[in-house]
Amino acid sequence: MGMALQLLFTGLGLGSIYALVALGFVLIYRATNVVNFAQGDFAMLGAFSMVVLCVDLELPYWLGILITLAAMLVFGALFNSAVYYPLRNRGFQPVIISTIGASILLENGVLAAYGPRPQTLPGFFSFPGFNVGPIFFDSQYLLILGVTVVMVTLQYFFFERTLLGKKMQATSQDKEMASLLGIPVALMIMLTFMYSSALGALAGILVAPILFVSVGMGSSIALKAFAASIIGGFGDVTGAIVGGLALGVVETFGAAYISVPYKDAFAFIVLVLFLLFRPQGLFGEKVAEKA
Amino acid sequence: MALLELKNIVIAYGKVEALKGLTLRVEQGEIVALLGSNGAGKSTTLRTISGLIRPLSGTMHFLGQSIDRLSPEAIVKLGVAHVPERRRVFPGLTVRENIVLGGSNRAQASRRELESDAERMFAAFPELKPFANALGWKLSGGQQQMLAIARGLMAQPKLLLLDEPSLGLAPLIVQQVFQVIAGIRAQGTTVLLVEQNAHMALSIGDRGYVLETGRLVAEGTPEALWNDDELRAAYLGGRKMVR
Amino acid sequence: MSGVVSSEAHKPATERRTNHGRGFLIVLIAAITVVVPLLLPLTAYDLNLSMQAATYAVAVVGLTIVLGYTGQINLAQAAFFGLGAYSVALGTVSFGLPFWLALFAGIAIASIAGVVLGLTSLRLGGHYLAMVTISFQQILTLVLTNWILLTRGPDGIWGIARPIVFGFSFADGGTYLALCVGALWMVGFCVERLKHSKLGRAMQAVRDNELAAGVVGVDTYRTKVIAFTLCALLGGLGGGLFAGGFTYISPDQFSFAESVVFLTMALLGGVRSPFGTTLGAALLILLPEWLRFLKTTYLAVYGGAVILLMVFMPEGIWGLLETLRKQVWPPAVLPVGRVAPLPLITWVGRETDSAILEINHLSKHFGGLKAVDEVELSVRRNTVHALVGPNGSGKTTLLNVLSGIYKPAKGRLLFDGQDVTGLLPHERAKRGIGRTFQTVRLFTSMSVLENIIVGAERPGNEVAAGSTGVEQHALAALDFVRLTELREQTVQSLSYGHQRLAEIARALAGNPKLLLLDEPGAGLNTVEKGELVQLLKRLKVHGLTVLVIDHDMNLVEQVADRITVLNFGRRIADGPPAEVLRNPEVMAAYLGNVKTHGAP
Repeated sequence: MGMALQLLFTGLGLGSIYALVALGFVLIYRATNVVNFAQGDFAMLGAFSMVVLCVDLELPYWLGILITLAAMLVFGALFNSAVYYPLRNRGFQPVIISTIGASILLENGVLAAYGPRPQTLPGFFSFPGFNVGPIFFDSQYLLILGVTVVMVTLQYFFFERTLLGKKMQATSQDKEMASLLGIPVALMIMLTFMYSSALGALAGILVAPILFVSVGMGSSIALKAFAASIIGGFGDVTGAIVGGLALGVVETFGAAYISVPYKDAFAFIVLVLFLLFRPQGLFGEKVAEKA
Repeated sequence: MALLELKNIVIAYGKVEALKGLTLRVEQGEIVALLGSNGAGKSTTLRTISGLIRPLSGTMHFLGQSIDRLSPEAIVKLGVAHVPERRRVFPGLTVRENIVLGGSNRAQASRRELESDAERMFAAFPELKPFANALGWKLSGGQQQMLAIARGLMAQPKLLLLDEPSLGLAPLIVQQVFQVIAGIRAQGTTVLLVEQNAHMALSIGDRGYVLETGRLVAEGTPEALWNDDELRAAYLGGRKMVR
Repeated sequence: MSGVVSSEAHKPATERRTNHGRGFLIVLIAAITVVVPLLLPLTAYDLNLSMQAATYAVAVVGLTIVLGYTGQINLAQAAFFGLGAYSVALGTVSFGLPFWLALFAGIAIASIAGVVLGLTSLRLGGHYLAMVTISFQQILTLVLTNWILLTRGPDGIWGIARPIVFGFSFADGGTYLALCVGALWMVGFCVERLKHSKLGRAMQAVRDNELAAGVVGVDTYRTKVIAFTLCALLGGLGGGLFAGGFTYISPDQFSFAESVVFLTMALLGGVRSPFGTTLGAALLILLPEWLRFLKTTYLAVYGGAVILLMVFMPEGIWGLLETLRKQVWPPAVLPVGRVAPLPLITWVGRETDSAILEINHLSKHFGGLKAVDEVELSVRRNTVHALVGPNGSGKTTLLNVLSGIYKPAKGRLLFDGQDVTGLLPHERAKRGIGRTFQTVRLFTSMSVLENIIVGAERPGNEVAAGSTGVEQHALAALDFVRLTELREQTVQSLSYGHQRLAEIARALAGNPKLLLLDEPGAGLNTVEKGELVQLLKRLKVHGLTVLVIDHDMNLVEQVADRITVLNFGRRIADGPPAEVLRNPEVMAAYLGNVKTHGAP
């Protein structure tokens, strides 16, 4: 029982990372109807940036985080201009392929610049955590959960209570109508990419002390985050969060009770099962019929 | 100077010529009806005016300013609001949010201003008031049409483009919608109205144009058009095919 | 009155242009490339490079089938490659099987995996399908790395033997390379032939316009499954040959990154042709060697290259060359002799009054909106029946239910006495329902004639049999709509009116019992509409049963025997034109209530 609760805590922590990355996916998808296969690499870039700034250059963590997030906002804008914007009217296939290309470019660019050895980032806190009964609450995991809760709340307020948030929602519901009202659609999409990029980077920053910071970490997180958003219901923001958390828990339990080396497979197996039997996920609408 | 002036507008989608040299004008304070059966090019005309489609050739002027190369965002800022076919209410946003966003072209307006303008809209469209916080997709067709018009008016346009407001609506509702449209002109907004329902459009219009497969075939006052054989022929056949 | 057809015209049109000289040249080149490795002493380095290029090319040609022809993204090609490689490796090393048997097993296993992957495409397309292929790839990598008992894990497998045939050993590098190159040529040749076969046309139809493909009679699901299977088969073949060539394999050679490499090769070379994909594979194997200084970053460059390719050169190098060639050397169009007249199904003289189509209590809802509300309609044989109504009255929705694109909420469809309510579009086509679309849906990458041929190849079309029969039938359909001169043109070069006629010809080539025309006059100018009316009148004289939807009352009046009027999803009138057009309710629906209301 104690073990199960511990696994639950760890699973939720891991799942929060997936949820943050999945959120970025879903926002871009809602705004542009395009799946960004490079989403996970935003996380990888965030993690590497922290290594460079805080380990190599020995800057304090808070400064490293600020610089990283700011840089990733700019990066998101660049990504939009180079990878999405030129292909925005060409249908989804070229864009998928283009984002895959971007993913490869980013991963191997970092590989070339930094070398293949995985890096480590020390935890943010000097104290490791505390016990409550049989469960050990690791401080980094607590931080992840805490930040995720704060982000989700802030995002909710942004989209539901601010005018800009409403404009962005309008853009993702009906781009053409939004432009007829005078909403600057291209700018809204740019902002979406910028925000998703920073969100991904934040996930990378948070998870860096737990995993090895390696070039491939982005891809594996991205695929799982994608699985999470499908499980939750593709296109649904709540679904992305629920799906991410659920997947993190499933994976953690699977690793503990079934098998460690195959733990990555659980995400894919669950994904394929959902795609075959319930493609609309837990919360989504029926995958649209063509007319 | 006419409020809106189109000269020889040609629109082509690839090989299909949707508009073949269209010339029309709208004067300040008028309600002008653009009639014709489906496929005649009426919606295409409005979409060209509002900037969604770029003309192949020809000129468009609004208050003397050329608008053929402008984006939709720029055109709505100049004072031309387009209420498109099938209403296109934002389904996931509330009625109030839809209305407030209608003022997005007014860069100077603060959020508070927009919200108080929205309240004024609710006063003008009382049937929307009980649905202020309901999501767009839940409204009936007639309510959505009212909402779309209210949203269009939030832009404080000089010219309102209305595309087939009667589409899919029951006759009684159509009458209510058209009462509203007549009222808009009384407030000082000029209206260019596209309609398949020729009778309703001509009953409130000052002038009308009739389109058939991209060409203007008739224009004039409602009485003249109503008694015109061309109008009947454009909708109900009876004219032999010209070889 | 069978026409006299010239002997040249007996060959399928697409082959007529390939003159014998060019074919001979290609065989000569192939023979040279196979023989060269046998004769020339190559260094181990050159041998390795060439073997990698050849075996990779075999796998990448597989992508031509699934992505180039059928338009489906496959990011698991490295997994199929790996299945083939590991089958050969384990087969020969762990189980002591002869090379050919292990290779055959590898191909079989990869093909089965391809079938499974293809089956998942039933409900999904686009990025969902891409995700499934990525998942499949990742699962396989995990299995290869972790199932150490079977696959020896990350250490890989050493000492893979080369094949021996009747005592003749392929152990020598040059000999094995000749084998690989020979296999590549055969594969390339077969895949090129596939493009001009019935299956190949079906695949291209699925890629160009899946909806129209189904309606024209192509079983789109089965076509996609076959495409994945063939792609996987070639992946397995390439992988098996790869294993034999390098005698050592390990899991990291078959990872997702390699799938991306395959994809990049296909895109760079030109994914729609086996020559293109081979070119891409060769370039991307050889180039990094020539660009040594990019050694650590070449994958990054790949990634950037993919983006640039998508933006600036989506057809790849081969596509560019093809476009140039067509401009410099436009293919000659040989004259076609007289063609037999198009047979059209008619019931003139028998059962003229019975209904071929009966629609009972049909309803279709979208959320709260009743797009079609309890509609009853009966189309009698040998008549032209028109369905009209103002915008939003439910006509196109009704037509989509008829074609099988929408499922009705309520009601029944009886066609030729049989209940077809639950059938898929291609099954309805099989029963003899043909259709055109409101916006022309032709297969844009194929010529006009090829489009018609796809229509003629509708399953259940008894008249056309065999490849020459099919082409003759297609030519007859083209002749009927008077478009014979334009048969070799690409669809996009035609005027819209001619595109519309071509689409009708495609439907006619399928020999339909009932022809559904969705707003055939839409987008046509007066002259073109005139031609259309003439065509419809000729169809009527032949006795073909037609259901026409249109707004243009002029047009409808001239051809319809009977008119049904819809408004707000309900039927408001049904009868002969003179009667219907004078019906006050119909006039009100179009023009609005005649009673004036507050006129200024």
